[in-house]
Amino acid sequence: MDSAQTTALIQTVAQGLLTGGLYALIGTGLSLIFGVMRVINFAHGDFLAIGMFITLALFRAFDLDPYFSLLVAAPVGFALGFLIQRVVLARLGDRLSEASMLATLGLGLIISNTLLLTFGAQPQNINVAYATQTVQLGGVQLSIPLIVAGLGTLVSIAALNFVLYRTELGRAIRATAQNPLGAELQGVKTAHIQAIVFGMGVAFAAIAGVLLMPLLYAFPTVGENYTTKAFIVTVLGGLGNLPGAVVGGLVLGVIESLGAFYVSNNYRDAYGLVAFLLVLLLRPEGLFGKTVKRV
Amino acid sequence: MRTPTIQSAILLATLMLGSAQAQGTIKIGAITSVTGRFAEFGKMQLAGFKVGVEEVNRKGGVLGKKLELVVEDNASDVNKGLAAAERLVNAGVPIVINEYSSSLVKAQAQYLARQKVPNLVITSSGDDITKPGSDYIFRLNQPATEYARVILNIFRDNKFKSMAVIAGTGAFEKSVADAAQLIAKEYGITIMEDQRYDKGLTDFRPVLNRIKAKNPDGILMVSYAEDSVALMRQAREVGVKPRLFAGGAAGFALPEFVKDAGSAAESVVTATAWIPQLRYAGTQKLNVDLKKALGGADPSYHAAQAYAGVLVAAEAVRKAGNTDREAVKAALNGLTMNTSFGPIQFKDFDGFRNQNPLAMVAQQVQGGAFVPVYPKAVIPKPIKFER
Repeated sequence: MDSAQTTALIQTVAQGLLTGGLYALIGTGLSLIFGVMRVINFAHGDFLAIGMFITLALFRAFDLDPYFSLLVAAPVGFALGFLIQRVVLARLGDRLSEASMLATLGLGLIISNTLLLTFGAQPQNINVAYATQTVQLGGVQLSIPLIVAGLGTLVSIAALNFVLYRTELGRAIRATAQNPLGAELQGVKTAHIQAIVFGMGVAFAAIAGVLLMPLLYAFPTVGENYTTKAFIVTVLGGLGNLPGAVVGGLVLGVIESLGAFYVSNNYRDAYGLVAFLLVLLLRPEGLFGKTVKRV
Repeated sequence: MRTPTIQSAILLATLMLGSAQAQGTIKIGAITSVTGRFAEFGKMQLAGFKVGVEEVNRKGGVLGKKLELVVEDNASDVNKGLAAAERLVNAGVPIVINEYSSSLVKAQAQYLARQKVPNLVITSSGDDITKPGSDYIFRLNQPATEYARVILNIFRDNKFKSMAVIAGTGAFEKSVADAAQLIAKEYGITIMEDQRYDKGLTDFRPVLNRIKAKNPDGILMVSYAEDSVALMRQAREVGVKPRLFAGGAAGFALPEFVKDAGSAAESVVTATAWIPQLRYAGTQKLNVDLKKALGGADPSYHAAQAYAGVLVAAEAVRKAGNTDREAVKAALNGLTMNTSFGPIQFKDFDGFRNQNPLAMVAQQVQGGAFVPVYPKAVIPKPIKFER
């Protein structure tokens, strides 16, 4: 392998890791929701689309720098998730698995069609000066928005860890995840906690959407692809396992990039799915998952 | 954000309104993408239709009657496009003008030929639409081979030894990329990479990394609107540096490409079917009229093609002397016209049938705007190279 090819390979892996970081961010939200309330949020990618379109709308209306949209998209995502859990999911009672699956699928359809009616089907870009700027690291060239996305992922996940392991709220969340009935008996308002967790999960998807916007065009059904990715990431790492989701995201990003680099771009989505199937066959609990019996 | 849709709706309404008022009109059919992912092109075509219909009617209409265009929406979907064609056939129109996407047109053309309705293709350029073609299918725009040829001509003239191809898997992209393969062989240019991708791929970085390692002289990309922006942004990001980036029209030839890709669009050369700098009679005026119809936006070649399509259809009906489909077909066969889109005459050559032989133009983004660079017929500016 000559040096040009080595550089290209290193660059591919680095870009894969940064893209994987975004997958991790999306997967973390999904995994968090699943870990606490055993709901697989099939609208997850659509919440990401909301984040993208908030960024787009603010940019078109006020020329707002995409990254400032985080200040809007994250709280809006949280509020939306909180409300949806309270108004829709909490009412489904004990029939959680099927009912919540259908409910989140329906929500996803409502979201993507609302976006379609509001913004049209045409893919839309925003053009900021730094969209194509790069950093050179010894021949390896990395895009600034991609690096910002990677950093954003790190910060978000660190913040989540801080909340989960250093605060009272985090303790209540972990208690709810481990044993909702027990937590309720100890005075934790689990319904409230679940709404907060759903809000946090949705906020994570919205943040990922904002971070994606300078890199990618937005269109109403952009979420579909990312729901699948989030699902793969979560299963790779073990459902409900947060560090697993992070590693799962990075693994998926690198597998996709290397597959596209060495084999063909065209089967890009297939590489992740093959990894997904292999994990399901060999380690059904995920790379880092433990089989836990629920009480 | 909603303006494109609203604009097209207004345009459509204006076209329809014309129909409500006029009595005893000559109706011809047209299909385009009023909605859906090709709506951007549909908007251009609707503007072209409008300018064309107005011009024909200003000059006295057809056979003493006003010309009326019955516009059907394909919603950027193959099946809805077929349904639109069916509605027009049932409405009894003598000729159907269509449209942008080769995947959609191919299905419609086959259906229309079976129904023995003359089909005037104005924009879609998949070779296989007129090769082998049918008695009922006529195309006024250039076939895909020409898109590849004009770019490869530039590569050859500048002594490029190697190139890479990145193309979508749609009918149009495939046609251009396949043609590029053949022409490259003919010109002695080595194709180092030929990467095809399915619609919806958004991360071209691994492929671009691969191409970067091979360092070809030229890169030919054939992609639709949003992909062209993503491709060029990521090409800059990855740092791949051929002597020339070239686009096979479609997304690369749109004003939006320059706007959305920003500095990443600089020095990109693209094939295009028509530009206002061409030296045909009336080209400047057409550009002004189209711009007005688009509310001040710059027209793309799709608008000029739609305009020419209306003129050709009207002329065919006039020559036929009535709206009988067979008579119109016969009239198209013997038609010779000079429009501000270019000369139009349907010929059989190189395996093409009823195909208008028309050369392509190449333009380059210089200083944030398209300038013509090829051929000599447009007074070309010198090409800027990346290295």
